[in-house]
Amino acid sequence: MSLSTNPTRDGVKALYWPVQMRRNVGVRGLFLVILAFIIAYGILFPGLFSVFGFAKFTQSWFPLALVTMAQALLMLAGGISLAIGPLVSLGAVIAATTMTQSLGVAGGAAAVALAGLLIGAATGFIVVKLRLPAIVVTLAGSFVIAGAALLILPRPGGAMPPWVSNLLAGGTPAAFGLLVLIVLGWKLYLATPLGISLYAAGENPIGAYRSGVPVDKALIAAYAISGLLCTGAGLFVAAQTGSGDPVIGQSFTLNSIAAAVLGGVGFLGGQGTMRGALAGSLLLSLMISVMFFLGFTPVAQYVAQGLIIVGAVALPQLKGLRR
Amino acid sequence: MTATTQPNVTKKPPLRGLLRSRPFLAFAVVALVWIVAGLTMRGFGAYGHLRYLIELSAVIGLVAAGQTLVVVAGGIDLSVGAIITVSAVGLPLFTWQADPTGLTAIAATLAMATVIGFVNGAGVAFLRVHPMIMTLAMATFLQGLLIIIAGGSAVSLENELIQWLGNARPAGIPAGVLLWLVVCAVTLAIMHATPFGARLFAIGANPVAAELSGVPVRATTIAVYGMCGFTAGLAGLLLLGMNGQGYVGIGDPYLLTSIAAVVLGGTSILGGSGTYAGTIPGAILLVTITALITVVNASPGWRSILFGALILVLLLLSGREAARR
Repeated sequence: MSLSTNPTRDGVKALYWPVQMRRNVGVRGLFLVILAFIIAYGILFPGLFSVFGFAKFTQSWFPLALVTMAQALLMLAGGISLAIGPLVSLGAVIAATTMTQSLGVAGGAAAVALAGLLIGAATGFIVVKLRLPAIVVTLAGSFVIAGAALLILPRPGGAMPPWVSNLLAGGTPAAFGLLVLIVLGWKLYLATPLGISLYAAGENPIGAYRSGVPVDKALIAAYAISGLLCTGAGLFVAAQTGSGDPVIGQSFTLNSIAAAVLGGVGFLGGQGTMRGALAGSLLLSLMISVMFFLGFTPVAQYVAQGLIIVGAVALPQLKGLRR
Repeated sequence: MTATTQPNVTKKPPLRGLLRSRPFLAFAVVALVWIVAGLTMRGFGAYGHLRYLIELSAVIGLVAAGQTLVVVAGGIDLSVGAIITVSAVGLPLFTWQADPTGLTAIAATLAMATVIGFVNGAGVAFLRVHPMIMTLAMATFLQGLLIIIAGGSAVSLENELIQWLGNARPAGIPAGVLLWLVVCAVTLAIMHATPFGARLFAIGANPVAAELSGVPVRATTIAVYGMCGFTAGLAGLLLLGMNGQGYVGIGDPYLLTSIAAVVLGGTSILGGSGTYAGTIPGAILLVTITALITVVNASPGWRSILFGALILVLLLLSGREAARR
């Protein structure tokens, strides 16, 4: 935190890029695999390199990218969430029931954000202050949140303002722009005391606590931000489909874990990088698209997805064993 | 040991030990809920109703038996739902004309479930894939496999033995509950009276120390996931017998409930401590909560909220970790 004082500033600047490159080491192989998949995708579907094709592809990736960030954030802090999917659904139904009605677009977006932050913070509070394991709190929380989504919208319905849908999920790569902004926001967050504490709290909570790191605050903040990202992804999904669905988020819980782990984020906290997690989510979403264009049946998709995930996670481990 | 069977002992230490014992607490909560609900709600305390609750608990109890072993060894199995579905849908496919008893089909189904578990264990032990990812990927893989073998349609049950298992009541006790009792005894014996059980606790508490102390970590890991696959397969067969039909998705609700039952019973989700004796009342408690919520006649949304909130409250009784100082 005192790193930004004058005498060390030049040293920090000179160190910045080497440190960033070193952080890439673990995910370099993943970047190569992604490149191969993008090339395959481009050959199968040349439209990818037009503005429209790029916009559509990034839109299909965007919600998974957000929930993967939400999950990776918690995993870096030593937690995990099984309530990602229900939170996405909740965000979608709040957006679809408020934006065209009482609250308007701005009010609806605020309601979505507030719901995510509050539920996230409440989850974090229960995990941290009541000392319950994150996995079981979020497991129980997933029932509560899914129930709340069902209360707001018992069956698929509601509506989104058409201009919101056009803006977010139309022919422009607005979603990609948003993602860039969010990643920049993450970079800024990591530069704050709470952001640095996140890694410390995940790596060694007791050591961090004894060194005066605000472990509890950092964890509750992480859960709140994670909730915000999830309901935000829900808003986007609602804009994509033009309506709300109380169970639309279901698949995101497990996919977010798979994507984060593909990207090298460890379960024990403090291990991994957000760029890796994003790359993992990109790979997962590319994989699904490429298999679709290759004409894989859903069956073969499931089988291939299972095999690729295990393979991608196991390969670096096997390499490590030989060393 | 003798003191634990007599709650009225006046000596303080055993009593306090009893109050701290999580299995006992979980049983006490079940008894309390049953007594209160039985006094306030008409029909809840009827023998037939309670027997039905236990019968439903048997399915969760079977899945949670394997899950308890895996969790104690520091792992988790997210593929149990898929294994239940595969065995419930797969049984009719193994039916062999030359064997009128249907025993070979049952044996083949259980063998398949066990092999799926072994593959999970091999992935965790040899490929060093995190159990959550390995079993998750296995669940995805099985989902694809299921669509191949079932094609999305329901299969009806024709195996007489499984029909008997799902519906018969020898001496007034449902056959499924008898099966559960046997599995309870075997699981408890494995956990607390065999070297294998001791190794599970050692691996769960500290895998590196276990390895260095000569525990065959890999073999034990593979075996424990195999057991989990086997009990999930048993649960699938029982569920098929009780339902009369197997369909894709039949096992899905049992994934999260099996984990919830394990944790409600006081087993640490982080591994290394716990007992199946706590999981048994945990499973009964889950079924009881579901039954009570159904009686309240709320909308599906409120039911789900109540279920989650009640689990959270119960967790406060049993699942807290030590303070960080």
